[in-house]
Amino acid sequence: MAGILVWAEVSNGEVRKASREAVAAGSKLAQMSGAPLAAVVCGDAPGAAETLGRLGAAKVFTAAGPGFEKYSSEAYAAAVAEAGQRFGAEIYLMSATALGKDLAARLAAKLDAALASDVTDVRWDSKPLTVIRPVYSSKLLATVELLSEKKVITLRPNVFPLGPERDLSAEIVPISAETNIRAQVLQALKAAEGAIDVTEARVIVSGGRGVGGADGFKVVEELAKTLRGAVGASRAAVDAGWIPYKHQVGQTGKVVSPVLYIACGISGSIQHFAGMGSSKFIIAVNTDKDAPIMEKADFAIVGDLFKVVPILKEELLKAIAK
Amino acid sequence: MNIAVLLRQVPDTEAKVVPDPDLRGRIMESEIKFILNPYDEYAVEEAVRIIERGGLAPGGQVPGGAGGLPLSGGGGEAVGFCIGPDRAETALRSALALGLARAVLVSDPAAVEADVVTQGRILAAAIKGFAPSLILAGRELIDTQEDALAAVVAHFLDIPHVLGAGKITLDGEKAVVLREVEGGSLEIAASLPAAVSCSKGLNEPRYPSLMAIKRSKAKEIRKVSLAELGVQSGPQKSRIAELKAPPPRAAGVRVEGEPAVVAAKGIEWMADVAKVI
Repeated sequence: MAGILVWAEVSNGEVRKASREAVAAGSKLAQMSGAPLAAVVCGDAPGAAETLGRLGAAKVFTAAGPGFEKYSSEAYAAAVAEAGQRFGAEIYLMSATALGKDLAARLAAKLDAALASDVTDVRWDSKPLTVIRPVYSSKLLATVELLSEKKVITLRPNVFPLGPERDLSAEIVPISAETNIRAQVLQALKAAEGAIDVTEARVIVSGGRGVGGADGFKVVEELAKTLRGAVGASRAAVDAGWIPYKHQVGQTGKVVSPVLYIACGISGSIQHFAGMGSSKFIIAVNTDKDAPIMEKADFAIVGDLFKVVPILKEELLKAIAK
Repeated sequence: MNIAVLLRQVPDTEAKVVPDPDLRGRIMESEIKFILNPYDEYAVEEAVRIIERGGLAPGGQVPGGAGGLPLSGGGGEAVGFCIGPDRAETALRSALALGLARAVLVSDPAAVEADVVTQGRILAAAIKGFAPSLILAGRELIDTQEDALAAVVAHFLDIPHVLGAGKITLDGEKAVVLREVEGGSLEIAASLPAAVSCSKGLNEPRYPSLMAIKRSKAKEIRKVSLAELGVQSGPQKSRIAELKAPPPRAAGVRVEGEPAVVAAKGIEWMADVAKVI
């Protein structure tokens, strides 16, 4: 039976949450099809193999040592391909993180595989394996049948549920692979302490044109901090220079899937919706009751964000203190 | 020193896209305005600036070889490479107006309808004879929402790649690229030749002048077929079985009134419905 192999991304020695979601999805797929499940980890990550075993991987391939300390699409793709060959993998899963998508692209080319990226749903019992992914700025959903023998799939973070950790252990299989690294990570620059990336946040508080300026973002930032969430922004706010591009959510920014997205002073263009439409819950605060975002929000507050948002923050602090 | 820029024509971001009831996996094209993929503008701008600065210092090139296009000639050109139907010419004209020297369009339906890995292999074949030192692309195609193309082309040309560049510094033998990842950014040095996809923030794309638009009309768009490139599209890797609009979000709650009152209702909703508190 052809196997399912998950690339587990490690950050600070731990398997990323997004990768644990991918393992859970792999585990579900394995249960539905009877296929065996394995994982592959690159770089030095003591404990990662154990975690992956508890999540359901029967085998964990590990590629460590020179060439694997830092991410390299070439070395990592070689290692994943090597693990896949040893395991007899047909389905390669990983999370659609920045590096997951980077690796998936190289790997799919290397394996001459069908590639489906940023997948938001899987038809678990389909044959050929069929996945759902957003296209045309999330205005449409494509149901894609993967016809090639080998398939590389990246899963959108925060969309697939985490699986249970059980009292299981994996067989650990060290592997090596050719590491002809021509694109070398020189250094990793961390974002400011405490700053949460919008793509990883459970809660995002975003500001748009209605925020009015860089100073106006303070109320947005304070609410985000209170909710231990990330700060997002619309293109209008970024283009006006009020906040850096890395906060931009939307078609030309980031695609996010938080549990809660709070849009403050954002009209909600189709391009913005392309980036946050898959949020589980949306709250909008806007003075314009006819703004498109108000139609799409689960909870729409008609009002001045500068009056409402600070009260939200205060009330939250009280609610949390209780 | 040549720079290849991967281009794509996509529906305008404002366009209303509707699945075509007769053509599976396709959208109704009749009412749609097509544009150059927005991210491609950053790639074109970067390529044109590099050429304007006097090109790259002598460095690695993709070795030209049999099967490639006999395109080389002149020192230092930025040339666009595109897979798309005939209508894609308008997008290529926009890229030419932004400063590319010329463009190559692969318009065989078999190429246009192929998956991203196959398209990357086809583009690699088209680019090979051009022997570029750098291949630039937009970070993502906004129609298929794929960001793999630059990496796939790189694989088939056996060169390194970096995706999502926010900054590119060239020193003749390598490109040092800053790219964002979750929680920070990575500084990556790629030996040339290399393929790099470009993110917003890399530069501020220019608006073409009237003169530039006029001049672009005389620039060459060369159409090539898969047969001329000596490649085949190969077996279909994936197929869109259905294209449909996502289910509409259920109507939400709307509150209006005193800030303190609506905020209190909001908190209650966050706790009871969204359960984030």
